[in-house]
Amino acid sequence: MDESGLTIPSELGRVTVSPGAIAQIVGRVAAECYGVVGMSLRSPGAARDRVTRLLPKGKPARGIVVRNVDGAIALDLYVVVAYGLNLAEVAATVRSQVAYEVERLTGLQVASVDVHIQDVKRTA
Amino acid sequence: MSDLETVRRLARAALVSLELSRERIDDLNVYPVPDGDTGTNLTLTVRGVVEALDASTATDRPALVHEVTRAALMSARGNSGVILSQIVRGAAEVLGAADAVDSEVVARAFRGGSDEAYRAVRKPVEGTMLTVIRELAEAAETAPRTEPPDLLALLVERGEEAVERTPEQLDVLRDAGVVDAGGAGLVELVRGLAAAAAGEELAEPPTRRYEPLDHDAVHRELSRYRYCTTFVVEGDALDQGVLEAELERLGDSLLVVGDPTALKVHVHTDDPGAALTLGTAAGAIEGVEIADMHRQTEEREERLLAALPGGAARSGVVAVVAGEGNRRLFEDLGAERIVAGGQTMNPSTADLLSAVESVAADEVVLLPNNSNVLMAAEQAARVAGRQVEVVPTESIPAGLAALVAFHGERSAEENAAAMREALAGVVTGEVTIASRDASTDGVAIREGQYLAVLDGTIVASGAGFDDVARALFGRLLAEPRDVLTILRGEDAPPLNGLIDELTARHPELELDVHEGGQPHYHLLLSAE
Repeated sequence: MDESGLTIPSELGRVTVSPGAIAQIVGRVAAECYGVVGMSLRSPGAARDRVTRLLPKGKPARGIVVRNVDGAIALDLYVVVAYGLNLAEVAATVRSQVAYEVERLTGLQVASVDVHIQDVKRTA
Repeated sequence: MSDLETVRRLARAALVSLELSRERIDDLNVYPVPDGDTGTNLTLTVRGVVEALDASTATDRPALVHEVTRAALMSARGNSGVILSQIVRGAAEVLGAADAVDSEVVARAFRGGSDEAYRAVRKPVEGTMLTVIRELAEAAETAPRTEPPDLLALLVERGEEAVERTPEQLDVLRDAGVVDAGGAGLVELVRGLAAAAAGEELAEPPTRRYEPLDHDAVHRELSRYRYCTTFVVEGDALDQGVLEAELERLGDSLLVVGDPTALKVHVHTDDPGAALTLGTAAGAIEGVEIADMHRQTEEREERLLAALPGGAARSGVVAVVAGEGNRRLFEDLGAERIVAGGQTMNPSTADLLSAVESVAADEVVLLPNNSNVLMAAEQAARVAGRQVEVVPTESIPAGLAALVAFHGERSAEENAAAMREALAGVVTGEVTIASRDASTDGVAIREGQYLAVLDGTIVASGAGFDDVARALFGRLLAEPRDVLTILRGEDAPPLNGLIDELTARHPELELDVHEGGQPHYHLLLSAE
């Protein structure tokens, strides 16, 4: 596991995608996922440092940890879900939607998407 | 009629209506992820509500609202199911608080459902189920004053129009040439409500389809693994954590739930056998179900392709094949339908006919792949309601050799001619076990001995597999050949030694070795 960019091999040379760029994509997809009303500020423990180190400030990449596992993307999402929803189903949808979109948009393999529901919020 | 009975009737009607369109809606599903399960998910969600209502004894409105809302929440399946559960919540709260349900209340219920649905997403995507519920609420609010049944009938029309507009609002729908699946499902649900409100007769939900449907739903999840495996382990002191950790190494989408006496296991894996082994090590297993998820996806793709004008090929192949590996080989080479069968389990004319009739293309080429199946194949070709050509292949490798010459855009007749020509250059052989003592073709054979057959003639027999196989290779390769295809049977011993020998002796020969998995024939060979 490391934090370096992910490489897409091509005949004309290597294409490297930074974890920050991937986090941007993930953030946008997550925002459109039904039931997700926010990303958690805090991601616990060690992951927290990595998030703040890797990601540009103020972008929708908050609460997203991108790791490179043997050339595939491993993602952790720390999300806030609307109150009164079936959490397991929301998490399952987030997982498949994020994995699908990231693979579609980057061509990189997604090894795992772990969804952590950090909070449940009543929305007005 | 009590409130409970009224709500039961409405919910059942919604379920029937959804169930009728379930497959069509599944096929529309490209957003948010094209996994073809929206119709199934919506149906399961509504089914959960119907079941809760069947079991309900609620006597007052607040209790009824609570039960419906809770059932929708608990049984919500997939993205569309979660959205629907919110719509149900919003609508139920409005209806529960109203004295009498008139059109104005119905309109407020749709508005309540729409508002509640929008509340649970930060960045709503238009062109989806959300858009359709909002437009339904707007249509209900602006409709001329009328009775609820007429209003619902009008909303079905408005809903259909809203669904038709979704491709203009969401690019992925336009690109895929479909309308939104969730929105389409919502309209079917309203159609059921409208029918029930108008007092139209509704069939009972087709209960027979519940179980496979339930099964489908779990299996549609995107997975890199091929087999969805579920079973129950029973024991005295089952350790959920240990089993979970062991199963985790085999695949994904793992779910182990239950108590120390019974655990239900669900895992997506390429090795269902290993999962079952872990289960039997922990306790007694039962209720084993293994579903091939790739096949489910393929079937959906086939349905979609068949629906496209010009998407279907001119002719398709039906092949009779034994062995899982062989089945995959035939499928990879473009056979459209496989009928399981071979030497000792000959498919009937009816089996062949139903496979022939299910081919999407206009014309069919039928490969019997066994002399015992030839007659049934010719019979099926005569009675079929379409052009069917039988290419009289007498073995699985011969069928494969013929299939290589097949091209879907050509007619069945043209294909059959090309395939017969391809067969002419192919020599086939097999190694099997003699089922009785005999003396044939000048070779004395004893029951249980290995038997080598070259183009229908016995050429060697003996107690040693390698010797018999070697003799057959010798005969097959007596003339120079370019390719030797070997399909290994399910009972065959390892072939490594023989293959090394072949490579050393015939360095120019291209060896094509597959795990055919066929019964009875330890080896099936073809050389060209």
